[in-house]
Amino acid sequence: MSFNVSAKQKRKTKFKPVYTTHYSRVNPHNKTVFAAVMLKSKTFVKKTRSGGVMKIVREHYLRDDIWCGSEVCSECKQESTVLQRDACIESNLCPFPHYLVPDTNVVLHQIDVLEDPVIRNVIILQTVMQEVRHRSAPVYKRLKDLIHDKEKHFYTFTNEHHRETFIEREPGESANDRNDRAIRVAAKWYSQHLKTPEAEAEGLRVVLITNDQGNKAKAEESGLLVYRCEEYIKSLIANPELVDRLALSNNEQNEISSSKVLFPEHLPLSRIQAGIKSGTFLQGTFRASRDNYLEATVFVQGEGEDSTEIILQGLQNLNRAVHQDVVAVQLLPRDQWVAPSSVVLQDDGVPKDDETNEEEDGRRKRICVEEHMKPTGKVVGIIKRNWRPFCGMLNVSQIKESTRHLFTPADRRIPRIRIETRQASTLAGQRIMVAIDGWPKHSRYPNGHFVRSLGSAGDKETETEVLLLEHDVPHQAFSQAVLSFLPKMPWTITPEDMVKREDLRQLTVCSVDPPGCTDIDDALHCRELDNGNFEVGVHIADVSHFIRPGNALDKEAANRGTTVYLCGRRIDMVPELLSSNLCSLRSNVERMAFSCIWEMNHNAEILKTRFTKSVINSKASLTYAEAQMRIDDTSMNDDITKSLRGLNKLAKILKRRRIENGALTLSSLEVRFHIDSETHDPIDLQTKELMETNSMVEEFMLLANISVAQKIYDEFSECALLRKHPAPPPSNYDILIKAAKSKGLEIHTDSAKALADSLDVAKVDGFSYFNTLLRILATRCMMQAVYFCSGMDSDFHHYGLASSIYTHFTSPIRRYSDIIVHRLLAVAIGADSTYPDLMDKHKQSALCNNLNYRHKMAQYAQRASVAFHTQLFFKNRGILNEEGFILFVRKNAIIVLIPKFGLEGTVFFDGKGKTGVNLRFDEEVPSLTVEQHTFHMFDKVNVTISLDDSNIQHQKIRMALLEPVIPGVSVPAPEVEPQPKKPKLDR
Amino acid sequence: MSPMKLCVPGDKLCSTEDCIPGTGVYLRHGYIYSSLAGYVLRKNEGEELPVISVVRETETQLLPDVGAIVTCKVTSINPRFAKVHILYVGSTPLKDRFRGTIRKEDVRATEKDKVETYKSFRPGDIVLAKVISLGDVQSNYLLTTAENELGVVVAHSEAGAQMVPISWCEMQCPRTHAKEFRKVARVQPEYLQA
Amino acid sequence: MAGLELLSDQGYRLDGRKATELRKVQARMGVFSQADGSAYIEQGNTKALAVVYGPHEVRGSRSRTLHDRAVINCQYSMATFSTAERKRRPHGDRKSAEMSLHLKQTFEAAVMTQLYPRSQIDIYVKILQSDGGNYSVCVNAATLAVIDAGIPMRDYVCACTVGFVDETPLADLCYAEEGGGGSSLALALLPRGGQIALLQMDAMTACKGVSKVLDEVVRQHLQDVSVLTRE
Repeated sequence: MSFNVSAKQKRKTKFKPVYTTHYSRVNPHNKTVFAAVMLKSKTFVKKTRSGGVMKIVREHYLRDDIWCGSEVCSECKQESTVLQRDACIESNLCPFPHYLVPDTNVVLHQIDVLEDPVIRNVIILQTVMQEVRHRSAPVYKRLKDLIHDKEKHFYTFTNEHHRETFIEREPGESANDRNDRAIRVAAKWYSQHLKTPEAEAEGLRVVLITNDQGNKAKAEESGLLVYRCEEYIKSLIANPELVDRLALSNNEQNEISSSKVLFPEHLPLSRIQAGIKSGTFLQGTFRASRDNYLEATVFVQGEGEDSTEIILQGLQNLNRAVHQDVVAVQLLPRDQWVAPSSVVLQDDGVPKDDETNEEEDGRRKRICVEEHMKPTGKVVGIIKRNWRPFCGMLNVSQIKESTRHLFTPADRRIPRIRIETRQASTLAGQRIMVAIDGWPKHSRYPNGHFVRSLGSAGDKETETEVLLLEHDVPHQAFSQAVLSFLPKMPWTITPEDMVKREDLRQLTVCSVDPPGCTDIDDALHCRELDNGNFEVGVHIADVSHFIRPGNALDKEAANRGTTVYLCGRRIDMVPELLSSNLCSLRSNVERMAFSCIWEMNHNAEILKTRFTKSVINSKASLTYAEAQMRIDDTSMNDDITKSLRGLNKLAKILKRRRIENGALTLSSLEVRFHIDSETHDPIDLQTKELMETNSMVEEFMLLANISVAQKIYDEFSECALLRKHPAPPPSNYDILIKAAKSKGLEIHTDSAKALADSLDVAKVDGFSYFNTLLRILATRCMMQAVYFCSGMDSDFHHYGLASSIYTHFTSPIRRYSDIIVHRLLAVAIGADSTYPDLMDKHKQSALCNNLNYRHKMAQYAQRASVAFHTQLFFKNRGILNEEGFILFVRKNAIIVLIPKFGLEGTVFFDGKGKTGVNLRFDEEVPSLTVEQHTFHMFDKVNVTISLDDSNIQHQKIRMALLEPVIPGVSVPAPEVEPQPKKPKLDR
Repeated sequence: MSPMKLCVPGDKLCSTEDCIPGTGVYLRHGYIYSSLAGYVLRKNEGEELPVISVVRETETQLLPDVGAIVTCKVTSINPRFAKVHILYVGSTPLKDRFRGTIRKEDVRATEKDKVETYKSFRPGDIVLAKVISLGDVQSNYLLTTAENELGVVVAHSEAGAQMVPISWCEMQCPRTHAKEFRKVARVQPEYLQA
Repeated sequence: MAGLELLSDQGYRLDGRKATELRKVQARMGVFSQADGSAYIEQGNTKALAVVYGPHEVRGSRSRTLHDRAVINCQYSMATFSTAERKRRPHGDRKSAEMSLHLKQTFEAAVMTQLYPRSQIDIYVKILQSDGGNYSVCVNAATLAVIDAGIPMRDYVCACTVGFVDETPLADLCYAEEGGGGSSLALALLPRGGQIALLQMDAMTACKGVSKVLDEVVRQHLQDVSVLTRE
């Protein structure tokens, strides 16, 4: 650097401007390329939270070192290219190789098309990225996944920072117009840039895709090759199926529907906001009724506890809102208020003309009872649509040539959707996914487009897919971005890792799990110390070592929240490499663990607790049965067996103490399918049986969880992630008390302890199953246990376990909550560092909400999966004859539990074909008298079980009464007269 | 002299084996570093090694140091000491005024007990003095005039005229010929032109 | 609306810089003839004016005088108009006091104070426009002003902030990036000696990252700043 300051320089009163050019070091590693950068400043005005206006000035650098990403380009000094040389796709509009440049709206609305593997070599401009990000988070995520997918050859061009493609907003130009212009400028730049001799030889062009007429016209003016999305996709002669995936754009909607206006106009957002502010409108989440398609409720969250539900009735008042949308409602005058109707109304599956349907709607009168009237309102506008792709089936139009068909979603709360497809005949009988594009005011049904087919209905894979989608279980394969954070194989524990960890490899650690378990997240050891005490260790897979906060892997796991176990399938929370290998504490390999080690005396009293990160080497992976066998087999006396015996002994003491403290032993029937190894069809059903070793492992897991909960709460009183189980309100127990009373028993529900005790003594002679039934009932009375952040709640009690504090620590492979707990504990013992989100109680609370939601959905999905497999099981068995017990008595039905299958079913006494049955329901007992016979809870009945598959979308198990024989109600035994399946309407 | 080279603080200039450190530089680990932004100057002063220093166009700020000859102006007197403002250190003007004190016993070298401050200085006198100490918590620079070359160099009479020294302890007004007592400095020839 | 995306997949930041690039730096020395030394610096949209007086006699309470070296007195302030939201900044609020203290510590490490015993050096820094990295810009401005004043220093000090987003260190944060969560670290360095004059970290980030941040970005880019500031 030389100095240009002259030696004769005068006094310093004169300014000495020192001009510096900003140089950027582009590649700091091997060569240093300097690129000159130009500075622009971006000024915009922003509204502050308090309502003031703030001017924000941001720098905006323009660069010369942003490359085009094309293989043919020799000018750009790029290290790797994304866009291919031969970007060929069979199109009769563009027979030459070309790159696509979609504009924002195309990306937003046609992401389904872009996701098709046929579409490759697409340039996504930064302008488009930003706009998409701003407008739709799910689409943005999908777009990002596309860009990361190497096969797709999607290239992101940072046009906003490129010196030649950056444009400034002109006076009077709207932000959207400016962005459209930026897209055109960038497309223009590309077409100029690629005019190299090499590219010319290939005939490579750039094609702008936009649906905006104005934009298209302007682009054509400036000499760009531009097509509308439909035009382009339809030109892809080799892939006609893509056309179906096109979302319908506005102009096409007009063609479809009649000009009759069916719905009132939605108000613009500005008026809605004004209305909400002034109190004339209320904002809430729209919840369609499952049973009545003309009715819905809007849940309005008020201040604190003060939230209300508003009833909406009639198509006009529902005004095109779809389940889960955030809507603005206006209350109707009091004299128009109605009571929720108890009628079950279904938008019938038979496609009809809109007109007839309308008339029918009009004819349906609602019956209102004065005292049950509730606030009633109508939807005036939609604040936020919450549309997702819906699973369901196609109702093929009766007109053969028609391309417009109605689609019936599996979820009854979602209206039917009109889609356009040419493949109706292939799609009939298949489960498909459809996305809603819009709901114009003159259309009876929303318009949508076909997204993809899931497979034929009734098929095992298809149905599993459907239940995963419907329960919002993220189950796609892990993206490349996520997988990139996995450790590289072959993986070993390095000496650096060893330094930070306690070496527990010499301990006799073993794991006990159900058979076939590959994600072993806990292992145990027990040994006698020199002082006569026991050392007991619970070793949990150290998943948080592999999943670092904030990376894509962590985010994905946090989103999934839990591993979902379905019959015959597991949807992992973390990639398999971790869940079944590196984190799984398999035997005879070195694995990292997070250990919780106690010193206990012979009375199982904890003398010392410590936590440490460790390295273990499990000596054996046992199943419950194997472990049980070792304990029982007196001839075995190896270290593992001794360790197990010690654990078992301590566990029994722990369990006894826990029960003395009032922990509940509840019961629910879990069934296990014996799956045919070839066809994967269930061949037998069996309820799970519990062994001593199950409870042994459970006891120590509980103990570890409680110890950890205490530790993290002591350390982080504001942000510990805990789990609580609220005590149920006393009214929940009514049914239980009544049921016991009917058998002359009394159940005390004042405390968990009282409940546990009275359940223990509730026995009826000669009815051994009674106690189990009672416990099943008690389980139904309970509240859901939830995760929460200690700083946001004051009630920590875990009712079911009778513990003052509890958390989840022991299954980090399959629960994200445990990962957070691991991190907290690691910070608490100084083994790891913290990060901002971990200490932010609001963020953690949000995380808890997601985890609770995912857990709930996982449970539902699990149940749905069991139900489906049960159906499969009964499908081939015709009509069975089984013994069961009445679990509940309802107004018009009894709910029967079949202990053999753990199956519950409803026997209806009314419904089609059974009119005129004399029913008397006594709510107090409760009992139901059908003709002469009175049913009480716990009565033993015989029923027939069969599969009702008259509605392919909602197959279900049907039960019919066999014994006691009630003329006109019960059915004859199947042996005597094989019953033809009565076609019965769903519901 | 080597050609003009520029440097900034912290630049390593040379090893101590090559040069002797001058002004504007400092030593660390056997090397000479610049402590200023300016020109590097090497001067051979006949000795075996050149003196290296960094100079600026404007003189650097100097502070009165022990032993330095300073020019100051008397601001007030009392029987025990005279208070002065230091204006120059050597021939360098100070940008800021530093305050100093000439105690009664530091006025002259002999007969210290007989000194009377009002017979030595008057407010407004320009005095040459030497820094004997940087002072302590209570006082600022302590100065002395107890040398023949130190003392009042410029003084004005009551009539306002600049007085002429007539002896080591008296000055005379050229207008009224009135004599006044001062501790007069015998001005060195090199200061005369100033 | 989702928060800002601080680092795009393509490796560009909000304003188009790459992770390790600094903002544009412009500086002038001697902007203020009244003072002994002064400098004005712009680092992107953060603009600061630094003024140095002294060394001069210790003002105020005499007891602050040090016998073996000079007292460094720093005053940091922000102009009322320096941020988008105008608010009155009473002199000596806690944030400014802290910043002043940091500046003082930084410069005590750099200025050869032992050359001026019993004296005082005043460094006044004012942020005229704030857009992130206030501390480091102040340090850079003050260094230039001290050089301008001709006060000897062991080495010039320069400072830079660095943030941490998605495991990537970002150099020289702007305001939007500072506010975007995550951690930020300010480091003042005597680049030639490689000595750290001041290290300050906000946020609750993983301490493990620090050495990575230090090594990969700060050192290297402080060199860049130093190259720029001497030009």
